[in-house]
Amino acid sequence: MQSFDILYYDGKTSVSHQASLSLEKDYWLIQYDQEFEKQSVRWEVGQVERDMGFNSLFIFRYGDFPRQTLECKDENLLIELRQLYPDKAFFDKKLNVLLHKNTTVLVGLTLGLIGILLVSYFYILPWFSEKVAEHIPVSTEISLGDTMFENTINHYKKNDSLTARVNDFVKEIDFKTNYPIKVTVVHEDDMNAFALPGGNIIVFDKILGKMKSADELAALLAHEVSHVHYRHSLKNIFRSLSGYLVISLLFNDINGITAILADNSNMLLNLSYSRNLETEADEKAVEILKANGLNLNGLVELFTLLESETNKVATIKLLSTHPLTTERIAFAREVARQQNAPVKKENLEKKWQAIGAERLK
Amino acid sequence: MEINHSDSRQVSFHGEGSKLFGIYIVNLLLMIFTLGLYYPWAKAAVLRYVYQETEFEGSRFAFHGTGKEMFKGFIKAVGIFVVIYAILILAVWSRNNVILSLGMITFYAAILLLIPVAIHGALKYRMSRTSWRGIHFGYRGDLKEFVQEFVIGGLLTIATLGIYSFWFTVKLRKYIFSHLRFGNIEFAYNGDGTEYFKLNVKGYFLSLFTLGVYFFWYVKDLFAFFIDNLEMNQEGNVLKFRSTATAGGYFQLIAGNLLIIIFSLGLAAPWATVRTINFIFSNIIIDGPLDTDSIKQTEMDYSDATGEDISDMMDIGLI
Repeated sequence: MQSFDILYYDGKTSVSHQASLSLEKDYWLIQYDQEFEKQSVRWEVGQVERDMGFNSLFIFRYGDFPRQTLECKDENLLIELRQLYPDKAFFDKKLNVLLHKNTTVLVGLTLGLIGILLVSYFYILPWFSEKVAEHIPVSTEISLGDTMFENTINHYKKNDSLTARVNDFVKEIDFKTNYPIKVTVVHEDDMNAFALPGGNIIVFDKILGKMKSADELAALLAHEVSHVHYRHSLKNIFRSLSGYLVISLLFNDINGITAILADNSNMLLNLSYSRNLETEADEKAVEILKANGLNLNGLVELFTLLESETNKVATIKLLSTHPLTTERIAFAREVARQQNAPVKKENLEKKWQAIGAERLK
Repeated sequence: MEINHSDSRQVSFHGEGSKLFGIYIVNLLLMIFTLGLYYPWAKAAVLRYVYQETEFEGSRFAFHGTGKEMFKGFIKAVGIFVVIYAILILAVWSRNNVILSLGMITFYAAILLLIPVAIHGALKYRMSRTSWRGIHFGYRGDLKEFVQEFVIGGLLTIATLGIYSFWFTVKLRKYIFSHLRFGNIEFAYNGDGTEYFKLNVKGYFLSLFTLGVYFFWYVKDLFAFFIDNLEMNQEGNVLKFRSTATAGGYFQLIAGNLLIIIFSLGLAAPWATVRTINFIFSNIIIDGPLDTDSIKQTEMDYSDATGEDISDMMDIGLI
């Protein structure tokens, strides 16, 4: 029987004993000299445990606290152990195999991990951010939207009188939402309108100037309000900022989120909604218009106006943000056709005239 | 037994970034697949590796904690946080201002009390689970005493708008080290609060005036203040700790680690960790006579990892 050179610690003092270890069937025998006397220690095999090993030092422990310890550097010990006690789990440490034997496995795992991270970043994270957006309290959303509005509006020249008229117009319609709707008209040579989270809607005066009826304006507003109502803007922002968002949440830094959102307010212009979100907003808009007894032809006119503008001008932002498809126009035509002839709303008509008078100035 | 008077000793670290990287990767994957539940085992693996690669006088340290122990502690810690947050949430739901303010007070008081409880528990667990040549470390602090010290110090710190925090820190270090044991070896921390305060004021303002350049001297001084004031006592023989860290060394360490982490997008963090550990150990020298053969086992077993886990959750770094 082979014996191995080991270092033995008895668990009572720090003395390092040069000892020899011999392996028997049921026990290990450790022998060393102390004060000129031969000492021997018996370890029952069943109670020997090996430390999870990461280097070429093999460490075994035995007994109750404070445990005895032996250290061995001899690789043959492992071979011997494997032969002598094939069923004893001295080798079941997965890490050992991973770390010592298999670089390929490790590289594979690393790539796998990077893959998981990429998938989470590009798919899971955006999805998750949308879910988070759904659960932001309305009051938080409104104050967030107000901050963003303050930042956005600085980039534009506000038209105060038109803004007042359009808001009068808004009051005549029940938009079926709990969000406080506030429209701001700004001077901009672009056919555009967009919704901020929490109820602020910014309309460019050019699109207002091209409209021919109250129903058309009502349709535009109903559509934008629907984006607000379903939190499309918030969800989109969260999606595109999901990376920052998670980091901020990790560090529990709500102020950070607000700051980032404020910095990125103007990106709202460039955000495009997915087709599903547009359809959802169109449907809700139809519902609002119907409930208010408004003529759905307004929606048809609005889409047609936008479509005609596409053909004329190359850079129409509203179209990149609201992908107009023939399907959407067809949808608007269909709902308008089914509608019973709505009665003209006199109050609304008056407000529309007021807007008309104002925009001529 | 001979007393070894060869007078300067060092702890050395033999860990390699690549091995630590392997451990991290496996840990990360297992944590992802178990939705984080693997964390205690992951932590045990890292600690075991780091301790096993740390050598003093030819022998390696060992970490005996297990994932299972830390998992139990983890569950208890989660339970504690659930209760504390439940109180807060119920108070918010009540929509009653009196209940809300009582709830808030309870919440913050509980958190304030939890910090010393966590530090105490973590020290007891971590020390009991650390050994060298079969001799275990131990922490003999008294929970009640420590909480008292902590609450008084904490309130004084708030009352003085943070100024007292320097004396407070030193006081805590003194308490902790005077209750630390390595077998029959005792520890002591001799720092002085006023000195620590001056050091911080000087470091802060000079860093500010020099646009951050002085920062490296500042961290070097902080490290030295920690290390130089430490001593070990083996049956009357005093061993002093001494820092050899320099501002230049700190600059190399910090700048290097930043570059490593930025250019690897964080993947090479284990190499940065290894550099840091190497830097710390290579800059601590222990002077004095030590009989490495006559350290006696004196400390009790302690397997409750709740404090360790609460510390993790509250992000309290140990020593």
